[in-house]
Amino acid sequence: MRALVIAFATAVAILSSPLAMAQAPDTAGSTADSGTADPADERAAQFVGVTGAEAERIPGGTLMLAAYAIVWILLFGYLFRMRMMQRQTADELRRLGAEIKASGGS
Amino acid sequence: MPGLMLASATIMSRARQSGSSTVWALLLFSTLVLFGATLYAIFVLAPVEQQMGVAQKIFYFHVPSAYAMYIGFGTSAVGSLLYLIKRDAKWDAVGVAGAEVGFLFWLIVILTGPLWARKAWGVWWTWDPRLTTTLLAGMIFAAYLALRSMGEAGEVEKRFAAGLAIFGLIDLPLIHYSVQRWRGVHPTVITGKGGGLESEMYVALGLSFVAFTGLAILLLWARITVERQRAQTANLRFELMHQ
Repeated sequence: MRALVIAFATAVAILSSPLAMAQAPDTAGSTADSGTADPADERAAQFVGVTGAEAERIPGGTLMLAAYAIVWILLFGYLFRMRMMQRQTADELRRLGAEIKASGGS
Repeated sequence: MPGLMLASATIMSRARQSGSSTVWALLLFSTLVLFGATLYAIFVLAPVEQQMGVAQKIFYFHVPSAYAMYIGFGTSAVGSLLYLIKRDAKWDAVGVAGAEVGFLFWLIVILTGPLWARKAWGVWWTWDPRLTTTLLAGMIFAAYLALRSMGEAGEVEKRFAAGLAIFGLIDLPLIHYSVQRWRGVHPTVITGKGGGLESEMYVALGLSFVAFTGLAILLLWARITVERQRAQTANLRFELMHQ
C-alpha cells in the first residue's frame, strides 16, 4: 500500500507541471479571418485523413510516442504491482499454514 | 478451526480456478489478439489526420482509456453500494478493485490528454469542462484509495470509502455530458455534433474500444481475486491470533 501512495505522489508531481502551465487555448491566430472556418472549431468537430507527402510533413511523432509509452509503462507497472501482491498473499498463506501445522491444528 | 478454514479456502479457490480458468484464458487470448489488430488498424489502416498529424493517433488509446475508466469507477461505485447494503466482504473487494483499475485508466487519460492538447490547442492544460470534471473524478477516487491504503482498513474506513465511491459516480455523467452541455474545446468528433471520422479511423477506434473493454474486465477480475485472497488471509491471521 505504501507503493500506491508513492505512485499517487509521483502522479501528482507529474500532473502539477501541466497544471502550473495551464492557460487559455491559443485561438488568436484562427480568428483573424472571419470569412473562413475557424481551424480550431473544425479540428474539434471533424478528423480528415490525408496520405502521401502531405502526411509526412505534419510533425507530432514525439508526442504520439510519449503517449503510447505512457500507456504501456502504466499497464505493465500495474501488472507487476498485482503480481507482487499475489506473491505476498501466497507467502503469507504458506507461513500461516506452517504455523497451523506447528501448533498441531487440523 | 483455522486449519479447516485454510483447507476450505484452498479447495474453494481451486474449484473456482478450474471452472473459470478456461473463460479467463479465452478472454486473455481474445484481448491480446484484439490489441494486435487494434495496433495494426491504428498504425497501418487509419490515415494520418490532416491538421493534427500523427499526434491524432493518441486519440485511439486516449478515448477508450476514458471509457475503461468509466467501467472501473462504475464497478467501484456499484460494489460499494452493494457493500453498504449487504455488508459482504466480496462487494468491498469489488469496490477496491474497481477504484484501482479505474484510477489506472484515469492516469492514462490524464497523462495522454496533455500530449494531445499541446498539439491541438497549443497548451498542456486548459480548464475545459471535460478536463475539469475528469480531474475531479480522479481526485475523488484518489481519496478513496488513499483512505484504503492506510494500513488494515476497519469497518468505518470501508464504509466511508464506499460513500466516496458512490459520490464519485455522480461525476461520471458530468464528464460524459459536459461537452454537450457546456461547449468547451474538447473534440466532439464521435458525438452527434461532430463531422465524424474517416471509415478506417472508425475501425481502429471500434477495435480499441473492444480491446480496452477486455483489458478492463481482465484487470478487474484479477484484482478482485487478489483482494478477496488478501481478505481471507487477513481473516485467517485474525483467527490464529485469537484462538
